[in-house]
Amino acid sequence: MKSSEQNSSSRLLTVTIVVFLFSAFFLLTIKEFSIFSISMTFFVPAIFFVSTVFLPRIFSADRLMLSIVNFLCALGVLILYRMSPKQGLNQAINYGIGLIAMLFFIYFVRLMQRKKPVIILLIAVSAILMVLPLIFGTERNGARAWVTLFGLGFQPSELVKVLMLIIEAYFLSKRKIFSAALYAGFCMLVLMLQKDLGTALIYYGVILVMVYVATRNYLYMGLGFVGAVFGSVIGYKMFSHVKRRVAIWINPWIDYEGAGYQIVQSLIAIVNGGVWGTGLGLGNSYVIPAHTTDFIFSIIINEFGMIFGLCILFMYILLFLRGINIALRSNSRFNAILALGSSVLIALQTFIIIGGNIKMIPLTGVTLPFISYGGSSLLSSMCIMGIIQGVASINDTQVQEDKELAQLQGDLL
Amino acid sequence: MKLIRQNIKRIATVVSIVLLSLIVYGAYSISTQGQRWFASSSNKYMRKSKINVTAGNILDRNNILLAATNIDRKRVYSSDPELRKAMVHTVGDDANNTAYGAEAYMANYLYGFDESYPERLVQALKGSKRRGKDIKLSLNSSISKKAYSLFPKDKSGAIVIMNYKTGEILTLQSHPSFDPMNLTQSDKDNPLKPFWNRTTMWVSAPGSVFKIITLASALKNIPDAQSRMFECDGALELTHTTITDASNAIHNAINLKKALAVSCNITFAQVALEVGDTKLQKTASDFGFGDHFLFSDLIVEDSAYPLNNRSEKELAWTGTGQSSLKTTPLHMAMVASAIANKGIMMEPKILLEVSNEFGKSSYFFKPKIYKKAISKQDAETISLYMTEAVRNGTASSAGVSGIKIAGKTGSSQIDGQANANAWFIGYIDDDRYPFAICVAIENAGSGGSVAAPIAGKLFKFMTGR
Repeated sequence: MKSSEQNSSSRLLTVTIVVFLFSAFFLLTIKEFSIFSISMTFFVPAIFFVSTVFLPRIFSADRLMLSIVNFLCALGVLILYRMSPKQGLNQAINYGIGLIAMLFFIYFVRLMQRKKPVIILLIAVSAILMVLPLIFGTERNGARAWVTLFGLGFQPSELVKVLMLIIEAYFLSKRKIFSAALYAGFCMLVLMLQKDLGTALIYYGVILVMVYVATRNYLYMGLGFVGAVFGSVIGYKMFSHVKRRVAIWINPWIDYEGAGYQIVQSLIAIVNGGVWGTGLGLGNSYVIPAHTTDFIFSIIINEFGMIFGLCILFMYILLFLRGINIALRSNSRFNAILALGSSVLIALQTFIIIGGNIKMIPLTGVTLPFISYGGSSLLSSMCIMGIIQGVASINDTQVQEDKELAQLQGDLL
Repeated sequence: MKLIRQNIKRIATVVSIVLLSLIVYGAYSISTQGQRWFASSSNKYMRKSKINVTAGNILDRNNILLAATNIDRKRVYSSDPELRKAMVHTVGDDANNTAYGAEAYMANYLYGFDESYPERLVQALKGSKRRGKDIKLSLNSSISKKAYSLFPKDKSGAIVIMNYKTGEILTLQSHPSFDPMNLTQSDKDNPLKPFWNRTTMWVSAPGSVFKIITLASALKNIPDAQSRMFECDGALELTHTTITDASNAIHNAINLKKALAVSCNITFAQVALEVGDTKLQKTASDFGFGDHFLFSDLIVEDSAYPLNNRSEKELAWTGTGQSSLKTTPLHMAMVASAIANKGIMMEPKILLEVSNEFGKSSYFFKPKIYKKAISKQDAETISLYMTEAVRNGTASSAGVSGIKIAGKTGSSQIDGQANANAWFIGYIDDDRYPFAICVAIENAGSGGSVAAPIAGKLFKFMTGR
């Protein structure tokens, strides 16, 4: 009864989103007709439909979560396509790769239940990835976090996020606080050396939350906070770009044509959009630099309006709460901590970048999960979703097994 | 596991609150500052959209046309050049040289950006070109013109007149001004910067008019303030400074009433030292110093009470209105209004009504209390003292026979300037003419001889005498 209700409502949601995506792309096609645009009009809603409807047939997954994630990804493709068709296509490909990565991680998490993860291997891989940018990285926006291998640029710290979640969850579930702290310290050190402070902030916050959940030890929390304050002060004193960002945050209007330009234009884009938005393709948000990455949320509000932006925010909150629900239902410490850490990571990242867009906190160059342009970022977000979905599917299997066991016992009696 | 689940729930609550705080902050900052962002000169979208919309008219409070769009879709301003110059800083100009005139700051009405989608749809279906809304401002053209004509032509400064009961601005003019329909090269080259709106953007020390706030602090914090006699022997020796009076006057034993009337620096320096920095700052902040002014109709620079290097010397000079105090003419008009309005400071407003081309109104002016500055009793005492300053004091040239006028002059010494900045703030203490005024003239001389006479003539004009 309950599940059929859920099914019909999720079917309605799916249809609504397909119609939305189709009409949005169709609108852009009318504006600028080409074979490419017309194929996007069919391709993107189709990939959304297939991944939302057929994926759950392969494995048992949380459908609502899957729908939201697919919608956000497809929305990202749409917005990027509207800004620049080439980036839209790239993002569609990233989205496809992301779906495969998600599937992979669902199986990986399931696999880890039976065979304990070769944690040493994961640590080694993450360590190598992390150190890569320091050896042959390129600097963008003050952070040295990018690596180009075989002609493909990527951000290793994004991919290490996923491994970090697994490694930390493993240590904490085994109550190996010292190892957890050691690994966290290593990550923080490397990120600080790369001057990638936005990512460092996310790592730090997530690890602190995971430690809390695993131990509820206020001494660790206290140490964590002292470390955070210390780290921020050091970061502020050491890095000129941090100082600049804080100054811009406090008053971007002092230099609205220079340093404060981005944030000022972001705020203007939001109010220009107003409640209902300027309409898809009618805004002029491309005046913001980094409009496809850091400021994509302002662009969405600009063209779709504040109500729509609010809905997107609620989707992230819903996504987070579904993740929490999955963490609560899981039966092992490892799974619970893993699912929680993953959900918090996405939520924190969302907060940091949207907060930066609306000038609530200083802007740090992190991406909006699932929507911002960028292969590494989308891939890591999808892997993290894979982790949560993996835990969800284990929960379902266990519920199923328990039922069967109960039935078997009933039969015996 | 049970403990873990409990922890997870706690984390879920905290993180949800953090995410929801985005909505709270967003809603707050958009509602308080959204219009500022929108009207910003760096809003490229607005510039682009203006091409498609015919801007609405701007009227004064008596429906005199101040700005309109002609058949060639060009912005035109009042046909009277004097009036154009008197109004330009508040009304704004097409080229947006004035930055935050109504033309820019109220563009969301004038260009119909506030219209809802159904309204836009109806307009689109009718096939008519979109037309923005008309706005009526609280400005009074005849008073503005009079004030403009009284201001010395070769000087820079500002005149603000507002209704102290409602906060409606009657004139808000900056000098020297320029003609928005006849912009000349000399306007651009003028070192006195005619485009700059001095009423809201010029921050400087107000001089002795600040003594009103020092007095308010004394009345609040010194129990026998009204009866106390202070000693003025012509010079107050302090570490690193000596406080003297204008033309080295010696007042001997003097009470606060007399001290305000003759503007005795030595008395007010003593008062400042007695109440102390913390309490004087508190009173100043009750009057809005240190506030982040977020008025709905106007963009105003914040006023500041000096916070650094607070020595005895600095505190004493602050009490007399010197030191690094910073305030705008509009804010000082608000201070006068607060005294006049029994201690209640009204928010300055210029927008009276917004209506569409068919006369349907979508906004009406409502007075709004900005803050309660001081108690009613203290306000009445200060009012009495200010009346004395007009009757038998430095502000006597602001007086009008047969009507009760209260006022205070100020002459602030600015480093590197030949003459003092002349200030006057005051009001008509009469329910029929609830008007407060601030006149500030840069590099002009003493407040009593330069600023007060202008205020006096304006009081006479406004009361019809």
